[in-house]
Amino acid sequence: MSQSLIPTSIQWAVHLLTLLLLPPLLPGLINKVKALLAGRSGPPVLQLYYDLAKLSHKRALFSRTTTWVFLAGPIGTVAAGLVAGLLVPFGHTGTPLPFEGDVILFAYLFGLARFLTVLSALDTGSSFEGMGAAREVTFSALAEPALFLGFAALAKASSSLSLSTMLLGPGVGSGRIAGPLILVLVGWAIVFLAENARIPVDDPNTHLELTMIHEVMVLDHSGRPLALVLYGASLKLLVLGAMLMDPLLPRTTHAWQNWLVFYAGLGVLALAVGAVESMTARFRMTKVPQFLIAGILASAFAFLLLLV
Amino acid sequence: MLDVAWILVAAVCWIGASFLPFFTRVDDRWSQGLGLLGAAFAVVGAVRVLTGGTASQLDFLFWRGAARFEIDALSAAFLLPLHLVAGLGLVYGGEYWPLNLPKGSGRSLRLFYGLLVAAMTLLLVARHGLLFLLAWEIMALSAFILIGTDHENPEVRHASWVYLVCTHTGTAMLTAMVILLAHRSGGLLWVPLQAGNAQALDFWILGLACLGFGFKAGFLPLHFWLPAAHASAPSHVSAILSSVMLKMGIYGILRISGLFPAIPWGFGSALLALGALSAVYGVGNALAQRDYKRLLAYSSIENLGIIGMGVGLGLAGRAGHDPWLVALGFGGAIFHVWNHAIFKSLLFFGAGSILHATGTRDMEALGGLASRMPRTALLLFPAVLAVSALPPFNAFLSEWFLYRGIFASLSRGYPWSAGLALAALAFTGGLAAVAFAKFYGILFLGTSRSPAGEHAHDPTGTMLVPMAILVCLSLGTGLAGVLLLPSLDRVVAVIAPGSASLLARGLNADLRILVGAEALLLGCGFAAYLWWRRSTPSPEALSPPTWDCGYALPVRRAEYTGSSFSEAWAPLLPGLKYKVRRITANFPKPVAFRSEIRDLVGELFLGSRLERMAQRLLRFRSLQPGYLSLYILYVLLALLGAFLWMFLRGRLLG
Repeated sequence: MSQSLIPTSIQWAVHLLTLLLLPPLLPGLINKVKALLAGRSGPPVLQLYYDLAKLSHKRALFSRTTTWVFLAGPIGTVAAGLVAGLLVPFGHTGTPLPFEGDVILFAYLFGLARFLTVLSALDTGSSFEGMGAAREVTFSALAEPALFLGFAALAKASSSLSLSTMLLGPGVGSGRIAGPLILVLVGWAIVFLAENARIPVDDPNTHLELTMIHEVMVLDHSGRPLALVLYGASLKLLVLGAMLMDPLLPRTTHAWQNWLVFYAGLGVLALAVGAVESMTARFRMTKVPQFLIAGILASAFAFLLLLV
Repeated sequence: MLDVAWILVAAVCWIGASFLPFFTRVDDRWSQGLGLLGAAFAVVGAVRVLTGGTASQLDFLFWRGAARFEIDALSAAFLLPLHLVAGLGLVYGGEYWPLNLPKGSGRSLRLFYGLLVAAMTLLLVARHGLLFLLAWEIMALSAFILIGTDHENPEVRHASWVYLVCTHTGTAMLTAMVILLAHRSGGLLWVPLQAGNAQALDFWILGLACLGFGFKAGFLPLHFWLPAAHASAPSHVSAILSSVMLKMGIYGILRISGLFPAIPWGFGSALLALGALSAVYGVGNALAQRDYKRLLAYSSIENLGIIGMGVGLGLAGRAGHDPWLVALGFGGAIFHVWNHAIFKSLLFFGAGSILHATGTRDMEALGGLASRMPRTALLLFPAVLAVSALPPFNAFLSEWFLYRGIFASLSRGYPWSAGLALAALAFTGGLAAVAFAKFYGILFLGTSRSPAGEHAHDPTGTMLVPMAILVCLSLGTGLAGVLLLPSLDRVVAVIAPGSASLLARGLNADLRILVGAEALLLGCGFAAYLWWRRSTPSPEALSPPTWDCGYALPVRRAEYTGSSFSEAWAPLLPGLKYKVRRITANFPKPVAFRSEIRDLVGELFLGSRLERMAQRLLRFRSLQPGYLSLYILYVLLALLGAFLWMFLRGRLLG
């Protein structure tokens, strides 16, 4: 940990506020970047905040096929995202809840969110949503080994099983780690794009059912449940984005500088995602598994490099 | 002495409970009560030993040799789930398969259910090779008759015969193992062995134990008897077979390996790899099944694989003298034994409720049961989360132990098997989510796919209460796992003599934060729920159909099916066959599509070969013409042969 001038409690408060308030900004940034690159002016950066405010005043409609399981998806996504956000460090600023083995809880929380979303999609009885659910579970089963092999490589490198040590410990600069770390980050970048339903795996903007994975699962949500879904998705973007960026962030001397570095990193990440989305098209569905397997291979090579 | 007495009294109670229904004048409640009393005795005894009581033993003479009943923490760790599930299953079964069925199978079911429980109880306390084999055999035969309860169905008959052949192959290996062990230790009594120089003998004993017990535990490739057998048995029997009897294989491996002062190299890594393969294979097959009880049975193979990985880690730790690895591996395995017993019996009870209400085991014929069986749906929801190892339920904690063990072994020089196990465990988690999203989603959610499920209704409280108890245990274990650490330490100390209480010391702080995070998860979920509750209520009258992008009039058959849900993974399985006629003409006739899944080892590989062998063996049929006198002649000849061998052995071999 850096020599913190701000007492831990303020650190925690900033962490919590960042976690609660910042997420909806990220999709706004990404969309702005995409719009600018396409030569449009695009929606305002704060659009998701407006959407959430509007949705929270709207009445929710429930299909007559649905049961209480339909609500479990939105609620579970937000709850899991918030707890995962407490486990991951935001730059070199410390984590509220570090413990040995938190990395496993971290991964399984996203598994929980995904499982509940899939069940609430199946609850509508719609074939479109069933199809989206089937694709989601299929692709995530491939994303999971990539994530875990990356964790294994970092655990081996840092001899720790706690996210804050694993992600911030090695650092890019230290010679032997650099190569494997880059491979891990490549693997995780693929996981990041797949888990957040971004291009080239999925397109968050289309409304053509047959091309969608994540978006199609939440077609029937409305009102506050839809607000929870959107907020949960942006939380996931923030939390997984933090995990992806942490090893790259430079360490500074003051806590406030660390925070600034983290926010700047998030901006760069949004820029990168927006650029990727502007430059590539979505893959055909049959190519998505190949893309994810490439992620597994990258993480596996990183792991092997650290073993020898 | 006292605790052993509790356990023996429990076994006697179970035997009494199994015979009582044959006295027609006695009310069934007496029999059930007696069984529950037995379960209570055993649970009390087991809990006493696990929470700090010392091991207690009873020595006696058996066949002029010393024999012993003993309960230590390892026995108690298996007695606890056995009697818990057996007691709940007895209550559940009273409604599910009542005694007074016209076919009369109710009484035989009760008889062999009680015998099965009593036999497993004796098996767990026996410390004598012959007694152990005897109890093992009673257990195996009772299970055979229980599996064949519905024996008028040819499929059930086939499943039970396959089971019988497999279990006896396993018993043959175990008999050889017991003989070799007696040779090694100089008696049938199972006491810790002295370090010897008979390396090869130790290797053979452990190898035979792994094979024979692995048959029972359903490790790949010895698993093929399991899915059909567990799907065919009555559901409360499936529950006890799946969540307890399979674990007798794990118990055996732990007990026998615990007798040895040192474990040869390689056993641990081999078992770790085998467990990893079984886990992936089991869950891969589970997600392709149409029959929901078969799906659960394949998921048992997966979970036994996970337990096997834990045992493998522990054995590797023993071979490498690494106490931390020993504690995490064995501790995780035992913890998963408990957890699997809880959620798998819950799942089988739930599956039984569905079967009871709809009469079909075909997932594709059902759907939308959550609105017709709301209580069953509510009770099974935690079970599918638990079996997918998701927080905050119990199985997540045991997998967390195993992950920590694997990561620990990663940094201590067993990297290859650990790397494989890590990828396998992560992949298994992902595939288990597919299988159980399918299980819950296709059965309970959406709308009904055929008339079969339209008149379904919740079972009565007799069947719901045991399930509710298991749900509470599942969540309770998930949130209070810290309290179990000292008990797990005691069990590990029996399996690996000389290990200190490392789990309680090493994991306490981490587990507390973990549980805190899980509680936070529930709190956040509850807060989000409250926020939703405070929203503007939807108008009551407005109950629209699913929006579905405007496709408002779906037909039942257009709904997404289980087969299409798992379509992406299922084709990777070698056992899946599609039967589809290609459309070639311009004006095609209606075409049909069929897919069927068969087990790779049991049905595709062994099935045809065994059939051919049976054909060839038919020629020996002439030796068996059916005359009693001829058989007596055979016995005489065999005896004569044995005498001649005894007489001549000394001279021939010098």
